[in-house]
Amino acid sequence: MKKKLLSVLLSTAMVAGMFAAVPMTASAEGDVEEITWMFWDDLEATEDLISKGYADVINRFNETYDGQYHVTPITTNLEEYDGKLNALIAAGQTPDCFICNPGPNMDVYVNAQAAAPLTDILENQEKEWYDGFTDGIFERMTYDGEIYAVPTNFAAALCFYNTEIFDEVGVEVPTTYDELLDVCQKIKDAGYTPISCSAGTAWCLSMVAGYLCDRQGVDLAAIASHEANWTDENCVEAGTKLKELSQYFQETAAGDSNDQATAGFYNGEAAMLIQGSWAIAQINGNNPDFESKCGVFQFPAIEGANDPNRMIVKTDNLLMSSTTEHQDAVIALMKMFTDETAQKYTAEVGGKIPIIKDIDIDYDAAPAQLKYVTDILANATGTFGFYNESLASVEAGDCFDNAMVDIFLGNQTPEEAFQTVQTFYEDNVWE
Amino acid sequence: MGKNKTIKKPVSPIIVILYIVLALLVVIYVAPLLWMLCVSLKDNAAVMSDPFGLPKVLHPENYAQAWTMGKLGAALLNSALVCGVSLAVSLFFGSMAAFAIARMKWKLSEAAHTFFLIGMMVPVHCILIPLFVRFANLGLTNSRFGLMIPYITFSLPMTIFLMTGFFKSMPGELFESAAIDGCGIYGFFFKIAFPLARTGFFVSGLMTFVGNWNELLLAMVFISDPMKKTLPVTLTYFVGPYATNYVQMFAAIIIAIAPTVVVYCMFSNQIVEGLTAGAVKG
Amino acid sequence: MDKILKDKKAIFIFIAPALLMFVLVLIVPICQMLYYSLCDYAALTPPKFVGLANYKKLFLKDSTFRIALKNSIFFMLFSAVSQQIVGLGLAVFLTNIPKGRNLFKNIYYLPCVLSSAALGLLWAFMFNPKIGINALLAKFGIQGPLWLMDTKGFIILPMWVIAFVALWQYAGQNMMLYMAQITGISRDIYEASYIDGASRAKAFRYITLPLIKPMMITSLSLNCIGSLKFFDLIYNMTQGGPNHRTEVLATELYAEGFNYFKYGYASAISVVLLVMCLVVTLVIKRIIKVENYEG
Repeated sequence: MKKKLLSVLLSTAMVAGMFAAVPMTASAEGDVEEITWMFWDDLEATEDLISKGYADVINRFNETYDGQYHVTPITTNLEEYDGKLNALIAAGQTPDCFICNPGPNMDVYVNAQAAAPLTDILENQEKEWYDGFTDGIFERMTYDGEIYAVPTNFAAALCFYNTEIFDEVGVEVPTTYDELLDVCQKIKDAGYTPISCSAGTAWCLSMVAGYLCDRQGVDLAAIASHEANWTDENCVEAGTKLKELSQYFQETAAGDSNDQATAGFYNGEAAMLIQGSWAIAQINGNNPDFESKCGVFQFPAIEGANDPNRMIVKTDNLLMSSTTEHQDAVIALMKMFTDETAQKYTAEVGGKIPIIKDIDIDYDAAPAQLKYVTDILANATGTFGFYNESLASVEAGDCFDNAMVDIFLGNQTPEEAFQTVQTFYEDNVWE
Repeated sequence: MGKNKTIKKPVSPIIVILYIVLALLVVIYVAPLLWMLCVSLKDNAAVMSDPFGLPKVLHPENYAQAWTMGKLGAALLNSALVCGVSLAVSLFFGSMAAFAIARMKWKLSEAAHTFFLIGMMVPVHCILIPLFVRFANLGLTNSRFGLMIPYITFSLPMTIFLMTGFFKSMPGELFESAAIDGCGIYGFFFKIAFPLARTGFFVSGLMTFVGNWNELLLAMVFISDPMKKTLPVTLTYFVGPYATNYVQMFAAIIIAIAPTVVVYCMFSNQIVEGLTAGAVKG
Repeated sequence: MDKILKDKKAIFIFIAPALLMFVLVLIVPICQMLYYSLCDYAALTPPKFVGLANYKKLFLKDSTFRIALKNSIFFMLFSAVSQQIVGLGLAVFLTNIPKGRNLFKNIYYLPCVLSSAALGLLWAFMFNPKIGINALLAKFGIQGPLWLMDTKGFIILPMWVIAFVALWQYAGQNMMLYMAQITGISRDIYEASYIDGASRAKAFRYITLPLIKPMMITSLSLNCIGSLKFFDLIYNMTQGGPNHRTEVLATELYAEGFNYFKYGYASAISVVLLVMCLVVTLVIKRIIKVENYEG
């Protein structure tokens, strides 16, 4: 009896399994070109405004090219993204188009020849599209003169501040590091947290460290070619300043996540937040009243050191698979990501900065902070990437981030921490 | 078994202390889960500002949103199908192998036992890519069937390991008397070992089912089609690149937990029955 | 009788399905893993044979690996001891109380059936300095430590926290296994011993303990292997941070393989992990000798 029951159960289960194994044949009808696009956030459950904008683009693409092209998104969460993408690439199932961070991450896909060069298409076939992009935006996507990616937006890291607290305490926007310390002290004396920062999410702290390093004149290119060292005085000095500044962070900065640090700012507990401009959407979304009292200023200068008008920026980038059979469809998709509708959404709703020129942003519709950000960017003399995305490898970036956390936690002196990074470079990069 | 009730013992102070200790433990066990339930009924701002308070305004819509956004309906069915089939097949195959290892006489039985045990020691992360490449070549990725195969295989070591123990502890006389009655080797397995090992089935079934039900990495990498994703994968939807939607995530987690708890309660009572039946041996 | 049990064909039929799946899905990739551990292999570019270079680097240079090894061993010892004691204790308590056995058992076993990933998120929330346990403590004027970020000491606080959460989650599993075994022991034996004047403690020492020995091997092996492979809770509570100080072998190999794309190196770590699991299981088998039931 039992045996029979079990075998019946087994065979039904197996049959069910077989049915499940029949591959999807959605693309079989007509000659619709079916492509896939891989992304690191679910398009329906997401709260992230940029992701929602991407979902719009996907829908618009499938409607516009109905009967000609069709794109299916493959989504994972951010943490499993690389693992899944690598597995797909290794199995020869590279998605036709996929998103990627700039820096060492992109290096991996370019070096593995998983990404297709786009220079020829951009410069010859799609000249008009190419010319529409903001000048210099392709700089970090170019390898040996070949462009490998198309950006969809970019964000800049800035200091957001609570104008109410600043007025109440009676302080002005600081333009130098010394003024910043002074402002922080006054705010602290008035009973507020001066700066909300997260060391629980290492890259948040590392962003501040990146700014301090750059203001101190740390030259990453020189370090990469070993003309300069991590143990040089300017690095160590940046570390010392990081430690100095961190006394003005909220008490729980060591364990707070990025979400919490941002929440501390828009809930009015902290006066300043040093974050990427994507935080605008998060701030206004969670506390709509805050928009009117949120100001923005650029990271202060360090007197007698480097150019203070340099900005940390980061792009989201689309890569095309080197093995795709549907180049035209992928290009059409990339164009839709960068067309005016998508870019206006990026700015007005998403709070990130468009990557095309000649675009009419309705600043009344956009978050108030966006205008300030754009104004600051207009004066920028140069840009550089997030430090953890600008070093020799992902691991090197993590090594830097961790060293900064160690300085903050007081586990290592700035000298020791930078010595760790130096040793990492000696062992892994400069060999 | 009726003897149990014939001897009445007075309630000793030790028993009272025991109950107090056990009750305290219950608090430690239940409080975090209740807290999770509580959070799932708040909104995100309230979670940040007053994490331990009771929700002032109830937000049951978190569940509805989590259900539709996470496509939890489809995910539940997928998980049930994949895990159910894997459970049945792995228990069947596993117990067969375990029976041969535990009761049959052959030179390599001990070696086979150790060999299967190795399967438990392999970190999934490391064989993920070779496994995926092989399955992709066979056209088995992005299918529920393709996911069942590794699930069954990963469940085998645990099943074999536990079932070997249970088969070994069966008294040999049972088989001897069955042999006298003319029972063959397949009869041994299906008529004697199989029914008597019910406890073993429940214990190892529960353990492997739970393992597969919660498995994320393989499911994440193997399945791309949103309609074929399993529950743990959909739970990750709520963790965004820059911000996490805690309330919906916890709501989704509770939805995901609910069937396990129900199945588990059913199972655990079965275990007690199975134990009583198994106690025949003594 | 012996003839029936030596039936080669039957043995083959019983073993074959499991063996086949096992070899195809597990053993072949494991062999690949062994080979990759000797290669410089960056996931997307073809592997290049480099001999023992990965292992050399692992043991001689990699300070994170040393931390991970230390944490893994700590975690295994702590889990093995604590889960055995708590699990066995609960099992004995529960088999000795007159009422409510099922209820308690169900509650204690509950966390085992929940996903470690979800519980990891939950506990990370609880040990968060701002909104978790520390917020509660602050109400009583106590300033709680940085549960998941403190880095002082040989075994740092976050490892203890994680180890206790693991104990919370998995003690029920041992309890269940032991209960299955204890309930299987005939009441008659106990009653006979009580009539002979044995105390409960003596009965435990001379009846329960010897009879649950086989289960002890099982549960101890499961504990040790499980805790060596331990991943989900740590990954969701600390992600190995701050600065890799809560890294264990499983999280380190994940980071090397999936964050840094160093598959060859990650394979070398898994080989070390595999060998450790094997050694520990063999040691357990050696230490706990069981009388053969077959007779």
